[in-house]
Amino acid sequence: MTPPLRCHSVICSLSYTGQFFRTAQSRSFSITSQRDQRVTRARRALFRWLQTNGVNFLQPLEGSTNYLSAYNAQGQLRRVVEREEEAKKAKTGEKGQKSVERDPNARDKIPHERPADLRVFPQNPTFLSQPVLSEEFREVIWKRIMEEGESVRDVSAALKVEMGRVGAVVRLKEIEKEWQRILMFNIKGKPLARPYAQAVMSMLPKTAYDADPRKLKTHESINDLPVHAATGPQIFYPTSESRHFTRVDAAKVFDDTLLPADDRVPHPELSLMHKDFRAGKSRQEINEKQRERDEKAAKDKARIAARRAKKLAAVKKVQSPRWEFRFTDVNVDDIGKDGRGAKGVGWRYGVPLMDRSRAQVKIPTRVE
Amino acid sequence: MQAVVPMDHRYLAENDGSEFASGRGSGREKLPNPDEREHDRNPIPYMNMVYAPIERRLDMAVWRSLFASSARQARQFVIHGNVKVNGQKMPYPGYLLNPGDMFQVDMDRVMFATGAPKQIHQVRAGRTKAKKALAQQQRKEAEDKAQSGAQELASSGWQDVELVRAQRKEDFGNLLTQVEDSFNDRRNRPGAKRKIELRALRKDILGAMRKVNQKTAKTLDDELNNLLARMSITSAAQKAQAKAETEELEAQPKEPTKEQVQALREVMAREAENPIDNSKPYATPWTPRPYMSAFAFIPRYLEVNHNICSAVYLRHPVARPRLAEVPSPFPTEIHQLAFNWYLRRR
Repeated sequence: MTPPLRCHSVICSLSYTGQFFRTAQSRSFSITSQRDQRVTRARRALFRWLQTNGVNFLQPLEGSTNYLSAYNAQGQLRRVVEREEEAKKAKTGEKGQKSVERDPNARDKIPHERPADLRVFPQNPTFLSQPVLSEEFREVIWKRIMEEGESVRDVSAALKVEMGRVGAVVRLKEIEKEWQRILMFNIKGKPLARPYAQAVMSMLPKTAYDADPRKLKTHESINDLPVHAATGPQIFYPTSESRHFTRVDAAKVFDDTLLPADDRVPHPELSLMHKDFRAGKSRQEINEKQRERDEKAAKDKARIAARRAKKLAAVKKVQSPRWEFRFTDVNVDDIGKDGRGAKGVGWRYGVPLMDRSRAQVKIPTRVE
Repeated sequence: MQAVVPMDHRYLAENDGSEFASGRGSGREKLPNPDEREHDRNPIPYMNMVYAPIERRLDMAVWRSLFASSARQARQFVIHGNVKVNGQKMPYPGYLLNPGDMFQVDMDRVMFATGAPKQIHQVRAGRTKAKKALAQQQRKEAEDKAQSGAQELASSGWQDVELVRAQRKEDFGNLLTQVEDSFNDRRNRPGAKRKIELRALRKDILGAMRKVNQKTAKTLDDELNNLLARMSITSAAQKAQAKAETEELEAQPKEPTKEQVQALREVMAREAENPIDNSKPYATPWTPRPYMSAFAFIPRYLEVNHNICSAVYLRHPVARPRLAEVPSPFPTEIHQLAFNWYLRRR
């Protein structure tokens, strides 16, 4: 049997509408005036819809997402209807095809969503509810980074998850584990919001983890090339026919400082490794080269960190009971001739302050 | 308007870009087949990115992470100081998040925003409970004041027993309120059998409360554990019974099998995570708000951990071929008009 279509063609009793009034009084966030909240035809239609097709959306659909586009005008799940039709066709037409009836349990389950079912707003096809990482997937990422000590770059390339996301997952997971640790030793620690998290995760599409790298589904494209503003205008650039004009040359034509796409993607090492692979180098050689590149990158990073530390150490600090005073050398000429230079320090006599004028941001712009 | 184009690392390795410079300077000529033109098939919906700067606001990010049920509620949470950015309180809803910023929302507020609202009888029960708790606290404070002088003189052993007794008395009281709550639970009304069990339990608890001062600490502990176990068994049994009644009436094995015991344990664990507590501002046990699933989505520029009600703003939203990351109910044409009016016309 197919699961029952969750459409109630019969109008519900008053007990359902009564629910709106029985709930506790809470503050309304609507800014619509009372005059515009009067009963109109559209409003009546809305409540009629809520009692018929809208019933599908009252509670989450078990084991699946539950978006508007997944239903047809009769309030039936499109993918269920389509599977029914396919099954009917297979039964009446070609009896040789057995593929539909392979798994008897699959008939009771709702079929997996297609991209069109993940369209949250029926009128906007460019926005899809994209999958999030499942709990297990996040645990695996945390384990590979924190316990097995792999680099973020390697994990990102292996699991097909953006590097920034890998970092964020580990950061959040660390906090979660810390809370659990506190909870274990101290009863007054904050419990995790498990029921909420489970409910939300059941409503979202998820990317499941698979230990087999060939079966692992791509969560997102990891090598996204940002479209640079300098590449916006179309340029007519005459050059000799015999010239071997590559991406590097094209980047220079757009802007002198613009790097070619090979260097601007987040994972430039993947294409370098593939180049070596195409050149017929052995796996060992490729890995050796990659290791050298990693070492060089680590050295560069350490050098930059050392430079920054040195700069910080040059600041003279004086500790008082309340404040830490920091003294740095400044140049009075940095303020410029008009007294408004960005690098200048302090307030110049006779120059009015800008902080009361229009479009000045006064709330913090960053939190360290 | 930020956009990205996904690149295949194999393509980058195998081609150096000169293939686009061949022919007359825009790639080798192909037969003009309109279906095969790549850039027409996969356009980047730039127009849908008109409102991308709004997604950077703190209140919008809180809403998009499903920590509030509307943008205005998210704004209220921020203003009321329930949101932290990188561990610091941030009361400005207009704060523009920077890539890498982590924000945390107070867990109770999130549960309130996304949980089903209370029914009126639950509100009333919560009010009486709060009143009782307040009265108890006041009484306790008065007692503490009176006893503070006496306690200084008393020996440490006497003090310990007294403390344990007071604690147990409070525990029994809590248990009693739990029993009464489940007795008066209108959502799943207890059956006749369960009512008998609950009455017996209440009687025993009251008896235990009366004789608290005559018992040692250890017997009190045992008694409490015993009563707690009975309470959890009856509440789990009620659910299991309701399920069994609906599913299969005739099949009733006398001995609980291993699976049943396991199921019972799971039910108990779930109840411990999601208890009935009328003092909360949302209906307990927590269930999602009506109509939440139709609008539940997390855009890709956020990484959310719902267990701790925290999220990281990874990067600014971007457009990519055929997809825009800015959630909007409107089609591209309307965004085009908005772009012309608000951005081009400036």
